[in-house]
Amino acid sequence: MTDTTLSTQESIFTSTARDWSSDMTTFKGVPWGKAMMWIFLLSDTFIFTCFLVGYMVMRMTVTEAWPVASEVFALTVWGVSVPLLLIAIMTFILITSSGTMAMAVNMGYQRRKWAVFWLMLATALLGASFVGMQCYEWSKLIIDEGIRPWGYAPDHDLGAPQFGSIFFMVTGFHGLHVSVGVIYLITVAIRVVRGKYDHTNFEIVEITGLYWHFVDLVWVFIFAFFYLW
Amino acid sequence: MATVEVPYQETVPLHHPKTWIGKYIFSQDHKIIAVQYGITAMAVGLVALILSEFMRLQIAFPEAGFMAFFTADHYYQAITMHGMIMVIYLLTAFLLGAFGNFCVPLMCGARDMVFPFVNMLSYWVYLLSVIILMISYFVPGGPTGAGWTLYPPQTITQGTPGVDWGIATMLISLAVFIVAFTMGGLNYITTILQARTRGLTLMRMPLTVWGIFIATFLGLIAFPALFVSAVMMLLDKFLKTSFFMPAIVSLGSKLEYSGGQPLLFQHLFWFFGHPEVYIVALPAFGVISDLISVHARKNIFGYRMMVWAIVAIGALSLIVWAHHMYVAGMHPSFGFFFATTTLIIAVPTALKVYNWILTLWRANIRITVPMLFALAFVLTFIVGGITGLFLGNVIIDIPLSDTYFVVAHFHMVMGVSPILAIFGGIYHWYPKLTGRMLNDTIGRIHFYFTFIGTYAIYFPMHYLGFIGVPRRYYETGISEFYPVAAHNLNKFITIAALIVGVSQILFIFNLVHSYFKGKKAPANPWGANSLEWCTPETPPRHGNWEDRLPTVHRWAYDFGVPGEEKDHIPQTVPRRKAS
Amino acid sequence: MATEGQQHPIKIYFLIWLLLFVLSFFSYLVDFYHLEGNLRWFLIVVFMLLKAGFIVAIFMHMKWERFALIFGILTPPLALVVLMFLMAIESDYAWSTRVVYMGEDPAPKPESPSHYKKSEEEKGH
Repeated sequence: MTDTTLSTQESIFTSTARDWSSDMTTFKGVPWGKAMMWIFLLSDTFIFTCFLVGYMVMRMTVTEAWPVASEVFALTVWGVSVPLLLIAIMTFILITSSGTMAMAVNMGYQRRKWAVFWLMLATALLGASFVGMQCYEWSKLIIDEGIRPWGYAPDHDLGAPQFGSIFFMVTGFHGLHVSVGVIYLITVAIRVVRGKYDHTNFEIVEITGLYWHFVDLVWVFIFAFFYLW
Repeated sequence: MATVEVPYQETVPLHHPKTWIGKYIFSQDHKIIAVQYGITAMAVGLVALILSEFMRLQIAFPEAGFMAFFTADHYYQAITMHGMIMVIYLLTAFLLGAFGNFCVPLMCGARDMVFPFVNMLSYWVYLLSVIILMISYFVPGGPTGAGWTLYPPQTITQGTPGVDWGIATMLISLAVFIVAFTMGGLNYITTILQARTRGLTLMRMPLTVWGIFIATFLGLIAFPALFVSAVMMLLDKFLKTSFFMPAIVSLGSKLEYSGGQPLLFQHLFWFFGHPEVYIVALPAFGVISDLISVHARKNIFGYRMMVWAIVAIGALSLIVWAHHMYVAGMHPSFGFFFATTTLIIAVPTALKVYNWILTLWRANIRITVPMLFALAFVLTFIVGGITGLFLGNVIIDIPLSDTYFVVAHFHMVMGVSPILAIFGGIYHWYPKLTGRMLNDTIGRIHFYFTFIGTYAIYFPMHYLGFIGVPRRYYETGISEFYPVAAHNLNKFITIAALIVGVSQILFIFNLVHSYFKGKKAPANPWGANSLEWCTPETPPRHGNWEDRLPTVHRWAYDFGVPGEEKDHIPQTVPRRKAS
Repeated sequence: MATEGQQHPIKIYFLIWLLLFVLSFFSYLVDFYHLEGNLRWFLIVVFMLLKAGFIVAIFMHMKWERFALIFGILTPPLALVVLMFLMAIESDYAWSTRVVYMGEDPAPKPESPSHYKKSEEEKGH
């Protein structure tokens, strides 16, 4: 029977030592689902980092030239080639969706169910439009630029064949996460307004949010390594 | 603000299924799931055992008529499937899936896992992965014959058995297994961290739970590397990407690959593969610590040291992976780094061995069947561990690489040892699980056949390795390099292997027979202290405890405390007030 | 605390939202102005890490978690740092062996925006 005073006075080392050596729960005040989501995200971090390490190894070991990202991903608007325009819009959308998600979490703890619903739906829509733009980007790369997962279409040779492989694989895996996230968001949003979580503290919204922000987080790294590097 | 924390599980009602199917097939009860995991793992393990007998017969009697059907392709497929099944589908699934599911909630004083539905899903997805793996015996070309390490480029180059379909089923099965493991593993970790009962601090947990905890955590962060390499290899195979495939001329024609890095696969594979060794070993360490302490009627020597050794092994195991790759052609100075970390990881491992021996020293040892297996584990582990020190050094590893010495080493350390721990654990917990005792006499016969038999198999292999007999060879003739003595030794090993294999029938018979005809088990037959022996019923019902979860007042190792009447004090007994 | 969850003034979310846009814009500018070499990589990594840090700390509320959780989540990725460094060394070595042993004349190691140099030369700088 421990008295768990969550005092903020003690140093973080004392409090950490106390949390880890206490009974019942190690993460004080953290619901099961949230702890589980954090650990899952840790595991997922390892997946994405392994993919990115694979990318690094590919890029460092190939002896052929690596295609130049800002040329490949440029978008021609009114006859002017603007580098990375589509990617900039996609980044904008994903960050915005992260913002609406953060707001949804906040509304959740204020128990404003309809606000949560609409914000989560907005997040899901933004996510879906992200996936849509990614489809457009992919089709443009495949049809116009002649980039294939296994290399290049004839007379489109840009250099190392790994460029397309690793790009499609990593962005595809990220897009898969976004798609799953959209479904997850919609499911949770509907269940929230239906009152499935009325007896709880709406931590499910925060848990969903953790996943969504993680997807955004991965995009930050993909943006830097694939498009800018 | 001071609040008194209440275990969350006391506040939420447990969903009790009504139908038979809900209770025993699609059950969300962790004990049933443990049994399902255990039976599936044992079934698939039997397949691997039979494969190994075929391989042994082929090695010992290559000319014999009854082995005529066994071609080189079959041999390599058998090697691959034997390795993969044993390491992942039997050992990982049994130690974490079966023992993890059974022990974690009971030893933590929880009603069940935190998310029983996800836990149930974990088993069914695991079953799916096993089915996909077994399907590879029915696809055109049979299972892959690339060796369990699946090294590219040979894995997906023509000439390797199962290059068309077998490799796909293998990789998909692995990916599915990883999904299953993640679902189960998240449950174990969250249960251990967030659903312990009153008074159960981490430092009062039995070492079994500690072993399972760290092993699961390792699994969650190591399996992703295997997942990634499986995905990349599938793409290499079916989309002709060149992640792992360099430009190759095969059968006279240039393949359409270019510029891939095969070593990347090896690094990713072993970044998973080495922690995997400890995913298997750590739960075994935990189980053995508990068995030794209980059956020697003495507290475990250096409990805190044991815990920290487990944590240190877990942390270090993530940075030793390339000692499997000394001869692979990696960066030359990596050998130095990885040999150093490998030797460092031997320190906490050795600490554990010393502590087991010091626990036994002047203890009141009861030679029960679980204790026999525990003692055998310590012996086997010492032998396997010491040969590991040989192989961890670059200079000694290079001549011994790819010989039977390596085969002997890893079978001793992560084949036989965890299997002995599993046997010990089954003999130990079977009474709690079923309410019946296993037959003691059959158990002892089974033990001696298994223990002496496995020594007879693997000990001579060290000598074969010293004279340079290479592993994974389908057939070797008599030459100066490969003397007659080696052939005779191989025949001896094969006969021993056959005897060990057949003697496992005793074990299965014992399990089945005792379930129906065994002696009724008392609530606490071994006089153990940990929480699973304090359940109100034997076998524990769904939900494990009464309305109120038990309260823990002490660690699990109060045996023979001076001045106490009984020789053991369960964890639920309050401490006496100092007078 | 146990029943209150993560509740914070909305202002901070808007602030971080804005900051993320600004940082993304900056990293976009890095590409737009054709910065090269170490400066380019340094800036990309700094902006990336800042963005990642803000997302994890504020949006994922890690800043307000107890240190027990922060510590538990942030230490294991150290293993990934080891993997990354060793793989960088390894890849460098693999590349050099390819150059030395494969007997081909490999293309010069691609520097990221190599085309800019070319295009600027063409312009007659």
